[in-house]
Amino acid sequence: MIVDRNRLPEEIRDLPESCFEIVGAEDIRDEAPKTEAIGFFKDAISRLRKNKLSVIAFWLISLVIVSAIIVPYLTGYSYTAQNVALRNLPPKIPGLEKLGIADGTRILTNRPKDSLREFPADSIVEIVREYRINNVEMVDVKVDYYAYAGVPEGEYHWMGTDYLGRDLCTRLFMGARVSLLIAFFAVVANIIIGVIYGACAGYYGGKVDMLLTHFAEILDGLPYLVVTILFMLLLGSGMLSIVLALTVTGWIGTARLVRAQFYRFKGREYVLAARTLGVKDRALIFRHILPNAIGPVITRAMISIPGAIFSESFLAYIGLGIKPPSPSIGILLSDGQRVLLQYPYQTVFPAVLISVLMVSFNLFANGLRDALDPTQRGEI
Amino acid sequence: MLRYTLSRLGAMLLTMFIIMSLSFWIIRLMPQSIFENPEVAPEVQKLLEAEMHLDKPMWVQYYYFIRDIVTKRDFGRSVKLRPGMDVFKVIATRIKPSMVLNFFSLLLSIPAGIILGTIAALQRNKWPDNLISFLVVIFISVPSFVFGAVLQYTFTFRIPLFPTLYDATAASFGEMFHSLTLPIIALALGPAATIARYLRGELIETLSSEFLLLARTKGLTRAQAVVRHAFRNSLVPIANTIIPMITGIMGGSLVIERIFAVPGMGGQLVESIVVGDHFLTVALLMFYSAISLITIFVVDISYGLIDPRIRVGGGK
Repeated sequence: MIVDRNRLPEEIRDLPESCFEIVGAEDIRDEAPKTEAIGFFKDAISRLRKNKLSVIAFWLISLVIVSAIIVPYLTGYSYTAQNVALRNLPPKIPGLEKLGIADGTRILTNRPKDSLREFPADSIVEIVREYRINNVEMVDVKVDYYAYAGVPEGEYHWMGTDYLGRDLCTRLFMGARVSLLIAFFAVVANIIIGVIYGACAGYYGGKVDMLLTHFAEILDGLPYLVVTILFMLLLGSGMLSIVLALTVTGWIGTARLVRAQFYRFKGREYVLAARTLGVKDRALIFRHILPNAIGPVITRAMISIPGAIFSESFLAYIGLGIKPPSPSIGILLSDGQRVLLQYPYQTVFPAVLISVLMVSFNLFANGLRDALDPTQRGEI
Repeated sequence: MLRYTLSRLGAMLLTMFIIMSLSFWIIRLMPQSIFENPEVAPEVQKLLEAEMHLDKPMWVQYYYFIRDIVTKRDFGRSVKLRPGMDVFKVIATRIKPSMVLNFFSLLLSIPAGIILGTIAALQRNKWPDNLISFLVVIFISVPSFVFGAVLQYTFTFRIPLFPTLYDATAASFGEMFHSLTLPIIALALGPAATIARYLRGELIETLSSEFLLLARTKGLTRAQAVVRHAFRNSLVPIANTIIPMITGIMGGSLVIERIFAVPGMGGQLVESIVVGDHFLTVALLMFYSAISLITIFVVDISYGLIDPRIRVGGGK
């Protein structure tokens, strides 16, 4: 029984408890909640789980990230080791080779029959077709390139090798690592700058807001492409410079979003109450108002990751990004493009990887947006 | 409206000036001499440098740079790719294929996007909508250069319908256009998907509005109601998503031109950066900036025309 005996009148203070009886509240019919309380994030995650596409996208992204971390160690090749004797080998994958796919062979068409002498006997798998053009004996021939290049039995390049004989599988996942790291750091930098900038502009308002907003507006007017190219020129190529170049104007969207959110919430009663209780500016900004903006900010971060991956490969493609021999998905694509018609596999693997990454990130971001902000649900 | 227009114009000119200065300082401070040509005698180099004010301090060079642009609209001359040629003449030699490529990509993407978006909105949550939505996600996500590679491999090598590379010796416009078909398609897929997605959202919102119900109750057929009432209302916001796409298409064309060996401005920009033809680089960057700023300006003005609150209330 919750009775503070000191507050009772003196004459009844020492009576035993059995003399007391609760009057007025006979029995309490409320039930204690049997289920766990569901907070904002738990609710969002449970909604996200129901979106099948987002779940698939999430697992695909995880798969690529895990592969980017471990595959370069598993292949047993270095991503820079060159061996010109092994250049442009087709893919050869253990297991699949018996089925005739990815068995390290290539069909060469329109070869004069005499030229077959330059191939070691064991490298010619079969002669597909024999015919004559202008009295020259011609053949289409299936050649085992691994035997031709003198690769010992049991050595595999799962995705083949490039024009310098480097293992493409190692390079692809090294490249994915580089691209993902650049995207990650660029997005994190953009979010941090954008949140702080937008919070200051939105919270303080007035002259501060005017100055900050005008500055952001001028910066935003600069064309993205031109600014990125200029800053790549200024900073030189390298991971850090790409991150910086993507940050120059990348944070403005986040800043604008956070600022709008601050304008919405800073006049609410709960903020006024907190301020009346003497809460400092910093606590008001970061503890009381900012959490309201966290949903849209997370969504924005997710949506800008594929954008950053694209920008990175775009820069690599036009020769302003990561410099060889460091790989990135963009570098591999642009290397592969040069020999697209002869060795399409060199383009296929990086193209598939970047497409899977971009589609997955977009789908996951859409799912996340719907989960965090159910009012906007349903749009692609 | 005049005041609003003038203020936007002022902002545009200010931005242009900032870009001009940024390009000047960044590109000039790069560790690469403008005349690093062993074939040119040192005395000639000295003379050339004096003529282009390159022997003076940077601030003086900056003054001459700005003065020439403002008073004579003179951006200088190319020094490496086409020595001695006025930069705008150099750009003029490369502008045609780029513009054909960009213009027709936009021209293809608009009707494609509008048709797909309308079908998706009218067939909401049925299989055509699901199919289009799936394609939209693919086209928006996958970079244009991947599409470029896929199209090039499929339609020039496996099924030889189009030439692999741009046909620089084409005699007629038709032949040139034929060799540009694949790059145009590769560039148009992304913008078309963006338009389709946006229009679908807009149309779905309009289709459930009360004035459309009214149009139906007064006896219009579904098609009439959609075309005359819903569609018109959705086109206004669409127009303002299409204009900024021009900038995106021009960026994408930088890479697509490389894949299909189109001798356009994108390739020229990259070349000029690589060899260090500074005046040309600056002029090309200014050209790209100008187009991007003009699109922003057009959008701002059209918003002001459509929604008078914007121009009265100012930026906030």
